Amino acid sequence: MTDSLTRRDFLQTSAIAAVGLPALPFGVPSLIRAGNDDLIRVGLIGCGGRGTGAARDCVAGAANIQIVALGDLFDDRLDESRKELVQNIGAAYQVTDDHCFTGFDAYQKVLESRIDLVILATPPAFRPIHLKAAVAAGKHVFTEKPVAVCPTGIRMVFAAADLAQQKGLAVVAGTQRRHDPLYQEAIKRLHDGAIGAVLSGQVYWNQGGLWKYDRKPGMSDVEWQVRNWLYYTWSSGDHIVEQHVHNLDVANWVMGAHPARALAMGGRQVRVDPAYGHIFDHFAVEYEYPNGARVVSMCRQQDGTAQYVGERFVGTEGTSDARNSIRGKQPWKAPVSELNPYVQEHTDLVASIRAGKPVNELRQVAESTLTAILGREAAYTGQQLTWEEVLASDLDLLPGELSFGERGVAPVPQPGVTQLSRPPFGHSRPVAAAPKP
Amino acid sequence: MTTRSAQYALALLGLVPWSRGIAQNLATAPDTIPGTVVSFTMAHVPAGKGAAAPFWIGQTEVTWDMFEVFVYRLDGATQPPGGVEAVSRPSKPYVIPGAQFGHQGFPALSMSYAGAEAFARWLSVKTGRRYRLPTEAEWEAACSAGAATTQATLGARAWYWDTAEDRTHRTGSAQQDGIGLYDMLGNVAEWVMGRDGVPVIKGGSFQDEAKDVDCAARRAQTPAWRASDPQLPKSRWWLPDAPFVGFRLVRDQ
Repeated sequence: MTDSLTRRDFLQTSAIAAVGLPALPFGVPSLIRAGNDDLIRVGLIGCGGRGTGAARDCVAGAANIQIVALGDLFDDRLDESRKELVQNIGAAYQVTDDHCFTGFDAYQKVLESRIDLVILATPPAFRPIHLKAAVAAGKHVFTEKPVAVCPTGIRMVFAAADLAQQKGLAVVAGTQRRHDPLYQEAIKRLHDGAIGAVLSGQVYWNQGGLWKYDRKPGMSDVEWQVRNWLYYTWSSGDHIVEQHVHNLDVANWVMGAHPARALAMGGRQVRVDPAYGHIFDHFAVEYEYPNGARVVSMCRQQDGTAQYVGERFVGTEGTSDARNSIRGKQPWKAPVSELNPYVQEHTDLVASIRAGKPVNELRQVAESTLTAILGREAAYTGQQLTWEEVLASDLDLLPGELSFGERGVAPVPQPGVTQLSRPPFGHSRPVAAAPKP
Repeated sequence: MTTRSAQYALALLGLVPWSRGIAQNLATAPDTIPGTVVSFTMAHVPAGKGAAAPFWIGQTEVTWDMFEVFVYRLDGATQPPGGVEAVSRPSKPYVIPGAQFGHQGFPALSMSYAGAEAFARWLSVKTGRRYRLPTEAEWEAACSAGAATTQATLGARAWYWDTAEDRTHRTGSAQQDGIGLYDMLGNVAEWVMGRDGVPVIKGGSFQDEAKDVDCAARRAQTPAWRASDPQLPKSRWWLPDAPFVGFRLVRDQ
């Protein structure tokens, strides 16, 4: 479909987008400007440090980009973002006051603005909803990772990925290793057999803890949890999903597949204060791939412990860290790369839009996200779980209709007790009372 | 004067014995971060060229063991109400490139000058002794007091391009210099306040070739040192593209 679109189609489409009709049932891309570097208008949804940084990186990554609309749940975050962008991106900052939106519907207003590309950088809780709406509105997308926190969200994202494909929309994800030329070159060599058949791998994201947001007097449950979003499974996916997805994405890339099943353990051992919600502080997962290869993953957020973030793969004829070196039969050492993958991902995205050959990474990043969810659920439940059963699960942690009010905190998962099929705030589905004798 | 510094005064007068390292006439003073078992050692630098008065300098670069007590509150300190502290602490980093080189005993790295300086101020409050970062003159005085390092001794004393294999090494794992210091040259380059009033890193690092590893070697920060920070604003505490940057402490008394 993409290739058959003509310049006239694009202009008609942009006219539709300009009058702000969102969510055409079978809409077409808002603007694809094959073969030139016409202005691309960008909206940002989620104005925290990463979203604001992504807007900067987008401007740095391609010519003739303007940031024209901002959306966030909170006024203060939006104000900080405006201040930083004004200082950092010069004339590319073209946001008027009436294109700054806050509140739970801010994302809809950004998508209704005259934009071609939207950056999705809120906490992960909202990503499936925003992806669905962005694709429905015919926008090209840069989406931060992870793209969901639960199987229900993953299924929404798979559907959005398919629809984006049909509509010829570009979607690039913030798994920036995919845009690092050294990872690209090393993994191409692995796929070409540089270490023989890959038998196993080890992937790591071990580090200290991260920031927390302390609750202020009078702050509602929902506001606190969204601001302190790292520490609730519904809002971050837990750290295995929020951070370690990067390394699991590399594993899937090298293996050329997603895992078939997982066996895992994990717990909440050191970071037990309720200020850190209810998530775990460590996981270890064994992933089994369809060809029988095993990838062992570990991730940890414990202060004062040894840190390591990276990957390693073992083949029949060598080993590799998938980026810097290959040792064995066909050795290779990476050259020095000055290229910043956080910028390059935007360069690649915009180039694909302008070439009329939109890249679509959404299914790929959704599979990597589900890989992380599979590991998390295997650890939470203590059971060996398959890809299919997790993907089909009714586990639904989507935020639903949110307002600034009360919201409980689910109990800390207990392996052997917690069920995959569970309500958002419980361990297991309620069971029917036993019939009276 | 604290009891401990009184002991050092007596030691200087030759009335009590020094703790001694490998090097001859090496004067060292141990210290511990209160509330922890993390200890470190200061070595004496006599007055002379570049240093009008004698001072003490860290025998090793500041290690992760030391720096993380500060960053992660491993001394058991709780955050005061309202979050206002005598010394503001660095943010907890999302990830530190180079941290995988090693943890216990390995030099802390990738921190900004502000982060290094904040650590020294915090340690001063914590111990009651005034720790700070060296001036460039002091650092060079300590470096050259260790006896001019020749190309022959460089290989044994320093982790640099030819010896380091692209990574930092455990502090104290290379040979001491003449006044008992480790890794003044190589391993991580070290923050000091430069002669021109701009912070610079001294001594070269594991990434530098032999010609760039000496007591005069200096570099000022460039934007490339934090180019890949994906956040805006970028962190004022961490330099994601500078895993070759660390520091050591000095103390006047």
